Amino acid sequence: MDSQCVSILPRVCGVLLVSGSSLPDDTSLEKLLDWFTTIAQTGTSLLEACPCLVDFVSKVAFNYTSGSSILSFTLKLTGLIGASEDGFKVLKECSVLKLVFNPQHWQEAGLWEDPCLRIGWIQGLKMILKHSEALSFFAQADLIEPLLQLQTDSSLFVASAANQTLAQVLLLCQSPSSVGHNGSKNRDLEHNSASMETTQNYSGIITKVSDYLNKSVVLKEISQLPGSQQILRLLALLLVRVGPPLRDTLLLAVINSLEELVTTSCSQLTVPLLDVILAANSGLRDDCVPKQRLIRLLWVMLNMKKPVDVMQAAAAVLRSHQSDPALSAHSARVLLLPLDIVTGVSLLDENSTEEELRILITEQLKRKSCISMICVCLSNIPQITLMASDCLPCPQRLIVTAVLLLLRLCCVDSSSSSAGCVEVVRFITGNSKVQKCALEALLVLSKSPGVKMVLVEVFKVLTEYLNSHSSDPSVLQKSYQAVIKWVRVCPDLSCITDQLREGFIQAVRKRACDTRWEARDSTVEFLGHLVGAPSCWAFTEQEMEPSDVLLGGCSFTVPLLKEALQDPESYVRASSISALAQTLTPSWQDGTALTQEQEDIVTQLQEVLFQDSEGFARRAAVKYFIAWFSACSSPSSCWLLMQSVPTVLSQGVADLDWEVKLHTLELAELVLDRAFSDPSPSHPYAVMSDQDHRLPIAGQQSDLLSSLKNLVDWGVVSALLCGVVDCDRPVALKACQLLLKLRGIVCPVMDNTADTRVFCQLAGASVMQQVRKIQEMGKDTCVVSEACSEADKEGICASVDPECVSVCEVLRVLDLDEKLSILTQSSDHIYNSPLSLLQDILTAAAASSPPGQDPRQELVMDCY
Amino acid sequence: MKLYCLSGHPTLPCNVLKFKSTTIMLDCGLDTTSVLNFLPLPLVHSPRLSKLPGWVLKDGTLNLEKELKECAGRVFVDSQPEFCLPERELLDLSTIDVILISNYHCMMALPYITEHTGFTGTVYATEPTLQIGRLLMEELVNFMERVPKAQSATCWKNKEIQRMLPGPLKDAVDVWTWKRCYSMQEVNSALSKVQLVGYSQKVELFGAVQVSPLSSGYSLGSSNWIIQSHHEKVSYVSGSSLLTTHPQPMDQSSLKNSDVLILTGLTQMPTANPDGMLGEFCSNLAMTIRAGGNVLVPCYSSGVIYDLLECLYQFIDSANLGTTPFYFISPVANSSLEFSQIFAEWLCHNKQTKVYLPEPPFPHAELIQTNKLKHYPSIHGDFSSEFRQPCVVFTGHPSLRFGDVVHFMELWGKSSLNTVIFTEPDFSYLDALAPYQPLAMKCVYCPIDTRLNFHQVSKLLKEVQPLHVVCPEQYTQPPLTQSHRSDLMLELQPPPMPYRRCSVLNLPFRRRYERVYILPELANSLVPSEVKPGVSVATVSAVLQSKDNKHTLQSVPKAPPVAPSKKRKRVMEEPPVTMAPKPLLSGAVPLEAFLATLQKHGITEVKVEETADGHILHLQAEDTLIQLEEDGTHIVCDNNEPLRATLRDLVLRFLQKL
Repeated sequence: MDSQCVSILPRVCGVLLVSGSSLPDDTSLEKLLDWFTTIAQTGTSLLEACPCLVDFVSKVAFNYTSGSSILSFTLKLTGLIGASEDGFKVLKECSVLKLVFNPQHWQEAGLWEDPCLRIGWIQGLKMILKHSEALSFFAQADLIEPLLQLQTDSSLFVASAANQTLAQVLLLCQSPSSVGHNGSKNRDLEHNSASMETTQNYSGIITKVSDYLNKSVVLKEISQLPGSQQILRLLALLLVRVGPPLRDTLLLAVINSLEELVTTSCSQLTVPLLDVILAANSGLRDDCVPKQRLIRLLWVMLNMKKPVDVMQAAAAVLRSHQSDPALSAHSARVLLLPLDIVTGVSLLDENSTEEELRILITEQLKRKSCISMICVCLSNIPQITLMASDCLPCPQRLIVTAVLLLLRLCCVDSSSSSAGCVEVVRFITGNSKVQKCALEALLVLSKSPGVKMVLVEVFKVLTEYLNSHSSDPSVLQKSYQAVIKWVRVCPDLSCITDQLREGFIQAVRKRACDTRWEARDSTVEFLGHLVGAPSCWAFTEQEMEPSDVLLGGCSFTVPLLKEALQDPESYVRASSISALAQTLTPSWQDGTALTQEQEDIVTQLQEVLFQDSEGFARRAAVKYFIAWFSACSSPSSCWLLMQSVPTVLSQGVADLDWEVKLHTLELAELVLDRAFSDPSPSHPYAVMSDQDHRLPIAGQQSDLLSSLKNLVDWGVVSALLCGVVDCDRPVALKACQLLLKLRGIVCPVMDNTADTRVFCQLAGASVMQQVRKIQEMGKDTCVVSEACSEADKEGICASVDPECVSVCEVLRVLDLDEKLSILTQSSDHIYNSPLSLLQDILTAAAASSPPGQDPRQELVMDCY
Repeated sequence: MKLYCLSGHPTLPCNVLKFKSTTIMLDCGLDTTSVLNFLPLPLVHSPRLSKLPGWVLKDGTLNLEKELKECAGRVFVDSQPEFCLPERELLDLSTIDVILISNYHCMMALPYITEHTGFTGTVYATEPTLQIGRLLMEELVNFMERVPKAQSATCWKNKEIQRMLPGPLKDAVDVWTWKRCYSMQEVNSALSKVQLVGYSQKVELFGAVQVSPLSSGYSLGSSNWIIQSHHEKVSYVSGSSLLTTHPQPMDQSSLKNSDVLILTGLTQMPTANPDGMLGEFCSNLAMTIRAGGNVLVPCYSSGVIYDLLECLYQFIDSANLGTTPFYFISPVANSSLEFSQIFAEWLCHNKQTKVYLPEPPFPHAELIQTNKLKHYPSIHGDFSSEFRQPCVVFTGHPSLRFGDVVHFMELWGKSSLNTVIFTEPDFSYLDALAPYQPLAMKCVYCPIDTRLNFHQVSKLLKEVQPLHVVCPEQYTQPPLTQSHRSDLMLELQPPPMPYRRCSVLNLPFRRRYERVYILPELANSLVPSEVKPGVSVATVSAVLQSKDNKHTLQSVPKAPPVAPSKKRKRVMEEPPVTMAPKPLLSGAVPLEAFLATLQKHGITEVKVEETADGHILHLQAEDTLIQLEEDGTHIVCDNNEPLRATLRDLVLRFLQKL
């Protein structure tokens, strides 16, 4: 820990004691606490590091005139100190603990009403409860009573923290029985007997908690609803966190009350109640009694009167993946009921037990609220598809059919009618929420077995959506996603006839001209994504790319994307550039000769890089070259690419957008890596062996020299030198890392003879100036550096052109390591340091104290 | 109150309302869908059309080669197109006092009604309605007269022959009433009868009713009408729109508290959202131009075209269409574009404020200035020298049967690069395209109809709460093609009264009251007496004078003193002595108390019989009957006047006198 901080801390404590209210800002105390926590977490004893804290805590505890925020802070700090056994002992000895954690003490002072203090008390207590000493203190001081009272505190923060703390208490209580058996076999008898004793002591706590839960779970009147919800949340939390024996105890204590609560069928309690039941259910063996009772409870909930509650219960059962097959099957039936009713596709066989629910849901579907019900049904279809096929009420293919029909009913242009509930049509037609949910379900259903039969239907519906004038852009996006998903899972696209294809192409072409940019953007993105889909069987029974089958390949896609490069919306331009990269990647990988069209694209992209007003498009343009370079098996043989790289690098690194600059450096990295990893293009068939890597120095030098010259020619070195002095930290950092990499490769091998010097031109006066400045600083260091001779220093500056620098010299002279260490630190590391925090607290206190009292005040005046 | 329905077309209505003593025609829309049965009128000779085979019945028994031509399996009448007029036999059109026009699309039949029918009334319309209506009529006449057709086909209309014809011709109704287009002279004469009105201006009709136009938000100067008397109010809602387009917004609140609301002119495309359609229009247009094709937009020369041009104004640059020429070809193109800019007071608020800047309210002015939009009266003349492709052409008529559009269909129909985009909802696009088949050109249907949809209208009706709604029968059931869409119909309580062509509806409310004025001197002479707290009554004797639908009570004139006649004195001619009026009686005779009174007067033998309206008392000894009923008492007593008088007095004791 910083010694300067230690020396200031007592003064800070003094300030906090006196003028807690004049803190620099609200978060100061939190930050201070965070700092203490990090100290404690490193393993150092907090008290050893900051001995003044005990004094501070006891002063606050005995003299509670401080503000509530200071009190709350002190309570938390006490917890932090007491979390270690040593600290706990010290606090106990100076009798601070009893006082600080005695609610009575605060009540008498009239401070307990303040939620700020209560939360401090709870969090302090929670922190301290890390060891058995603390637990026995907790038990002896009988703190369980106030903690239970706080479970339903009026402040939600307090109540939630109290819940967490209670869970922690119980966890600690159960540790002698669960941990003790495994971990303390070798301990002596004496210790064992002590641990048994403590367990017995704690059984009182457990009984109290059980009694409390049992009493509070039952809802006596509606006004207690928030409290009841809180208790259920607590119960769910406890049941999830505590281990088997204790959990069984708790469960047995409350199960009667839960059964009673289920019968009240209060809608607001449905969700928390389900959470409790499912939490309890998850870890139980199937044959135990509570499990049977819980399953019965779930059945009761699945037969409640309100369809919305029943749907919620069914969804929760499915999500919990619990093991009772009958329950899961029933839940699936319940969730599919709305779909069955709306579409008239009989997903469910006749079942008299559901008749009542069917009537209720049908009634509900005639109202506007049907939207949410249908959405619940659709959003749970993924869970249903995960079920074993024998639990499913119908084959998944039927569900797909029903979803497709629903999508048809939702489409404004469609004239489809259903055999189902007619009244619902008016609400769902054109409703984009339902459309999106249904499309989402369709996405998931693409994985279902045997659904390839309906591919044509799916394709027709999706084309209808893409064609529809009323489709919301988000619906269009989902439709495109669905097309890609279905194409991915169906390798056989031979069923897509020319007519279907033509309709689809028209729809895509139209959306590319849509008035809404979101629609155009999705279309352009889709064109790119489709290229990534695996190859498939076409109508002509040939193996083809899906984009060729559906759209006729590049001859359709590329012109459309080229048009989109002119789009007024920058997002669309950016997407079209990315999509072009995706579309052309296969041809780059194959090394096919460039077409005129591709050459035009490169010109257009360079224009984008030079002229586009928006960063998105320029970023995408740089990424296009990155993709091209990475995909190209031999970039050096692609003249256009290598011709473009210097332009892109010089323009990109001078961009105003830091992300463009960063991407440019990524391209530079690729070029750099390729330059040194590639076997020299002069002997492409050379066999690589270990020996080859250790070429005689002279040979290595000449290879490196040519690579380095290439790098300079391609503008990589200038870009890096430009980047390293950039004002944006991530850019400078990346450039610095790359220069280090370059130095690592070049400097060890290259000697300093004049004929191995490679000079590099620096673009821009400011860059030149900054590098020169660094060089100047470098010169100073060179004086003491043995590695750098006088000749070097001359060499740097001896070039003919004043804007030229010798690469190797610059790499040596620039203190890249120091620069790296500075750049890796976050830019606000100074302002966020603990020292700065402590100083701020002192300064703020000084500023608020009356003038004349603080000698520094005069100093400030003098300075002024 | 009666409503005579002369048109069955829900958006081109023509109804006559008989209200009080007035006969008011509400709109006179012309159903032009009949022209779809005719061959197009090409502007330049079309070898394709002239070579179409004549139609002959399969067995050869019927040969109408000259009148009917066959094209792609359909039969068309080769004659000047004819229109289906409003019904003219249902009532005598000469009795119509006024015609109220709600918008320029709903007045196209005006010359048929006002000319040669004996019509002597007045037509009321707003200024933009009159001016733009005149343009549309002029255009129609021009389209027809430009390509005169000597032949007029009539044989096919023969009932016996029509029965044997194929396809839609066979099912066409009232073909004998179809008429050729009117002349410009008739148009001028009809429009000279128009009297201009402004929104909310009140026009008195014969003192009986007051009519007043309200902004309806559908087109420039479009209006709904309120027709009201002192105690009754009828609202007539024709094409109205709640969307924010160029016209002034709709005035809804003035429609409140109507006894009857006549609802016509809802959207013809309830499922096509106008915004979505505009987007669709733009994207199809851009798609075609980018592919090197031409776009043809068959449209009316006023109305939606203003919105289309405004939308394109914003879209042109973003879709890189800056260099594409846009042509607007119509005999009235120039006037239409210019008129739209001068009716500032009839425009929506946004556009009104532009005028004060001063800027033209519509951006098409800028399109014209920058040469992006060019307008020509026809394809002849300047246009042919400046025509560049690919381009976008807006031209009429949307039926594709006459006008410059016919030429472009012939010119561009063969190439699949070109697209025809239908934006007007009045004609089925498939029927419109039928005589051009086979057609390689792409067809896109983006009907833009900004009129109220069912959702909006049900909200509107909830708000204005009319007692009864009358509407075309088409609105009371879902469209045939979408029978499951129960939301695409009017669902009201009480259900709306449907009408169809030739219906005569007795509107379901009775006039109960009439305002009667009382002269001050007569009022002075009244002596009110209070019958119950707050209610006083007085008897009035006066002379009722009715003139110009105003009713006035005047004092009874005193008879002039009879001049002593030297001639024979005629007793009978003596003026009747004005006797003081007998007091009016009110109240009821309580049976028990009356019986007790009779007993007091020695009438004991009374047999009481209960009847439907009261009681009959049989005084057996006196052989007399007393009928006590709710609104009358009769004493039947033969030849015993003293007894009758006694009984009468006993009855009168129980009644109050005024």
